[in-house]
Amino acid sequence: MDTLLQILINGISTGAVYGLVALGYTLVFSVLGVINFAHGAVFTLGAYLTYLLLGGAVGANGLLAGLHLPFALPFWAALPIAGLLTALVSLGVEASAFRPLRRQQAEPLLYLITSLGAGVILVNLLQILLGAEGYSLPTTALGSLPTTLSLAGAQLRTVQLVLLLVAAVVLAVLSVWLEGSRSGKALQAVSEDPTTARLLGIDSDAMIRLGFAVSGFLAGIAGGLVSLSLSISGPYFGISYGLKALGVLVLGGLGSVPGAVLAGLIVGCAEALVPAEWSGYRDAIAYAFLFGVLLLRPQGLLGRPQISKV
Amino acid sequence: MGQASIFQAPHRSPRAASLLLSASLLASSLVACGNSARDDRAGGTGPLPIGAAIALTGNASVIGQDQRIGLELARDHFQGNGPALELTIEDGGSDEGTATNAFRSLISADVVALIGPSLSQQAFAVDPIADRAGIPVIGPSNTATGIPEIGPFVSRVSAPVAQVAPLSIAAALRLNPKIRSAAVFYAQDDAYSTSESKIFQQALIDRNLKPVAVIRTSVSDTDFQSQITETLRRNPDLIVISGLPSDGGNLVRQLRELGFKGTLVAGNGMNSPNIYSICQRFCDGLLIAQAYSPESTTPINRAFVAAYTKARGGAVPPQFSAQAFAAYQVIAETLSSLQVSLPAGATLAALPRAELRRRLNTALLKGRYQTPLGEIRFTPEGEVIQKQFYVAQVRMNPDGRSGRFQLLPTVPTP
Amino acid sequence: MIDSTLLVQMLLGALLGLSVYLPLACGQLSLATPGFYAIGGTLAALLSTRVRALGGGESASGSGYPITSLLLEMLLAAVLCGVLANGIGAVVLRLRGIYLTIATIALVEILRVVSLNLTITGGAVGIFAIPQPFDQPAGYALFTLGLLLLVCWLCQRLAVTRPGLAMAAIRDDEIAAASSGIAIERWKRLAFVLSALVAGVCGVVAAHFLNAWNPRMGNFDASITTLAFVVFGGSRTWIGPVVGGLALTALPELLRPVGDLRLIVFGLVILLGPSLFPQGLITPELLANVARRLPLPLQQSLRLEKVRAQGEGKP
Repeated sequence: MDTLLQILINGISTGAVYGLVALGYTLVFSVLGVINFAHGAVFTLGAYLTYLLLGGAVGANGLLAGLHLPFALPFWAALPIAGLLTALVSLGVEASAFRPLRRQQAEPLLYLITSLGAGVILVNLLQILLGAEGYSLPTTALGSLPTTLSLAGAQLRTVQLVLLLVAAVVLAVLSVWLEGSRSGKALQAVSEDPTTARLLGIDSDAMIRLGFAVSGFLAGIAGGLVSLSLSISGPYFGISYGLKALGVLVLGGLGSVPGAVLAGLIVGCAEALVPAEWSGYRDAIAYAFLFGVLLLRPQGLLGRPQISKV
Repeated sequence: MGQASIFQAPHRSPRAASLLLSASLLASSLVACGNSARDDRAGGTGPLPIGAAIALTGNASVIGQDQRIGLELARDHFQGNGPALELTIEDGGSDEGTATNAFRSLISADVVALIGPSLSQQAFAVDPIADRAGIPVIGPSNTATGIPEIGPFVSRVSAPVAQVAPLSIAAALRLNPKIRSAAVFYAQDDAYSTSESKIFQQALIDRNLKPVAVIRTSVSDTDFQSQITETLRRNPDLIVISGLPSDGGNLVRQLRELGFKGTLVAGNGMNSPNIYSICQRFCDGLLIAQAYSPESTTPINRAFVAAYTKARGGAVPPQFSAQAFAAYQVIAETLSSLQVSLPAGATLAALPRAELRRRLNTALLKGRYQTPLGEIRFTPEGEVIQKQFYVAQVRMNPDGRSGRFQLLPTVPTP
Repeated sequence: MIDSTLLVQMLLGALLGLSVYLPLACGQLSLATPGFYAIGGTLAALLSTRVRALGGGESASGSGYPITSLLLEMLLAAVLCGVLANGIGAVVLRLRGIYLTIATIALVEILRVVSLNLTITGGAVGIFAIPQPFDQPAGYALFTLGLLLLVCWLCQRLAVTRPGLAMAAIRDDEIAAASSGIAIERWKRLAFVLSALVAGVCGVVAAHFLNAWNPRMGNFDASITTLAFVVFGGSRTWIGPVVGGLALTALPELLRPVGDLRLIVFGLVILLGPSLFPQGLITPELLANVARRLPLPLQQSLRLEKVRAQGEGKP
């Protein structure tokens, strides 16, 4: 087995990714009570946008073969811009997949299907326009930082440290915003009880759109960060993240921001603890873990217990 | 009644329900039959239809897209030399279901021969369909063990992993005789990777290099941090990877970034310039055994490379395109020679389709072909016998974005 | 030449839709169907390729597999899935709503990964050259049609008898049902077990039809697609999932001429479908309308007056 420190580092770096992706799910769930299945697609889009904004060229297999932007932004600029663009796309998803159903007061199950449809469209558009090959952000995106850092004998890739730091910053900013600002508090109010919130003068619709926009932003930068650390293996690479993050979301407690992050770290560490010989079973162990927690504590780690009123 | 909800009790209306059921089943049958009934082209004049079912969507679409180009170049190259042929390309997807539908769609269009599917995984499922229909099917990129054995009509131009893989191990040991320990990574949810890795592991054992770690990954994995750190602790000198360009490329990059300085060998799935953009400058030094080298100087290959670079703005053809080209070539050349052997005035198109397919199958297994892959012929089983294999080492350009597969001194098959 | 391959796939899709529908009819969204489908398929693949006594090795091309062996496999798959579902259900059905859904997704993923790693299932390569009971897809089409009709009939019987009424009550309002003495646990478990039976049997037929089986056959994608069958087709009567299964299985294939845009069109369909038809295509109101529009003598002979009345809200 690896040293404990290495396992911890491995776990945290994987877990940070899961947590970041799960955060987006959390936001939408907290305002609408539904899961946005297009989240994985928006995440993927964020990765591609970051790549393009860094000046990357589209490969030879898509309709836009050879396309590249006439400028190349540094990573620190490309990432937030990609996030803003994905926030816009997320608003588009809200308008096409969620709002029409909301008007009809349709129930949660239908949103799953429509958001899935939106996700399928996005992913396939990406494939048609940009081709199916893999892309990687230039390994020089971070300039002259060393590729690996060594902490007391444990190895960590610099890009992963960057991911961790950015995730931590994002989480901090998000928490501050949710607790401290008016719009953040309004968002929370809508998640508690939309009707009462409306009675109190909060525009629920606007809050929902805000929730989607922030969620899209998070998905976009998560995608950009992951593509920096790993790579874009193709238009479908967001799907497995989406699925894992869904489990993380439930583990942390639906609608709980700190829960999503905590659960992400826990699942990451659980995976890191799997010995190399059994690495084929890694996914199974992560899901078994999730399953166990669901049975013992269905509301997740930090979620509110569901009380059904008679 | 309240808001629309699926959780409300249904009404019971058995007769109407049965009526609707019968109606929808009837409609389904009509749809299904209407979708597949096409003109019966058995006999008469007109070009001979050749079908190709390759992965144009899904995880393996990078392979399929390379193959499409190879097929189109071959079609253009062999036009006019022999009977008129018509190529139809269907999307076989990256899963067995889509491939099945693609094959069936092509079969109902009465094709003379089939090329495909892209993945070994799919071949096990769909080749029997072609075999049972008596249609020769040539695999352009199926390398797992056991595929030609599926049936008498099944053959392939892609050399099996059993022949190609050990060459790269041999080359690695030649380049670095001090290798004492090795580790193996493979994608366990892919038939080709699993198949190839068994061969790699056996080749290592045969050289007294029992792997210190055998790590199973997944083709959709991108993060190998924990697997890598644990493997590196065991200090292997050589790491052998079986995967596809995206997971394999990521693995290579992360191995190098986390400090692995030893020799890296990759398998057939990574035999594509698509890895450059993923591992970038870290791809440098990677050893791959290949069934194709664009640097080979045979006339057919030079023509192929010239046509490819012209069509793709300077890029060099990947192995998958060359193999697809070769598959088409085998069919085209065999049909040509069959045409010649017919009495004057007769056309192949006038033969009953089943008879034509039978003759085609028998004849193609006996032929010898000068393809971009070098000279190839077949065993009676349909396995390819390729004269020349290559081991290449990836050499990246200083910009880290482009590179080439530089040929090591060639190794002829024993 | 009639190619019934698509028809068989559509019929299998309809069956899987019914499998997802059954727990839903009891108010539970369970996505465990692909898992039991995989179990059924793996069982069939293993038995037919390894157990010589079943007659699998008779001919080189694998044809001529006795139908009795096929039926035996279906029986065994049903028993296995039933027992497993009963056990799993006892544990998992305590969860409600989205938690149950996620738990079933987790179970399916666990099953998939475990079977990928085992050698007996052939790992990634899977098991191929599965013997064929029918030479032509037409044979499969007839067989599967029979199976579908049987399951539809069972669903209809269920709907009008005690278990079905109990499930409908649970679906409407679980707490009210509990307080009126309905054994919630029992009926939920029954729905779950029935769903598993249908999925498992479907898997057996599919394994033979597809000629090869591997652990990727039952996965999350399949969960979502089968769910779409139900939501799109209509989740309030059993005929909804059937229509949804038939239609949505055919759709990607019908869209082949559209080429690369095929999946985008499919995405559009499931994006817009629920807003246009929130309760799916087939609703009880629709059935009542159909009943009403038939000529009166036909209505009377089919005894549809009751249907009309129900649809119109009269007692």
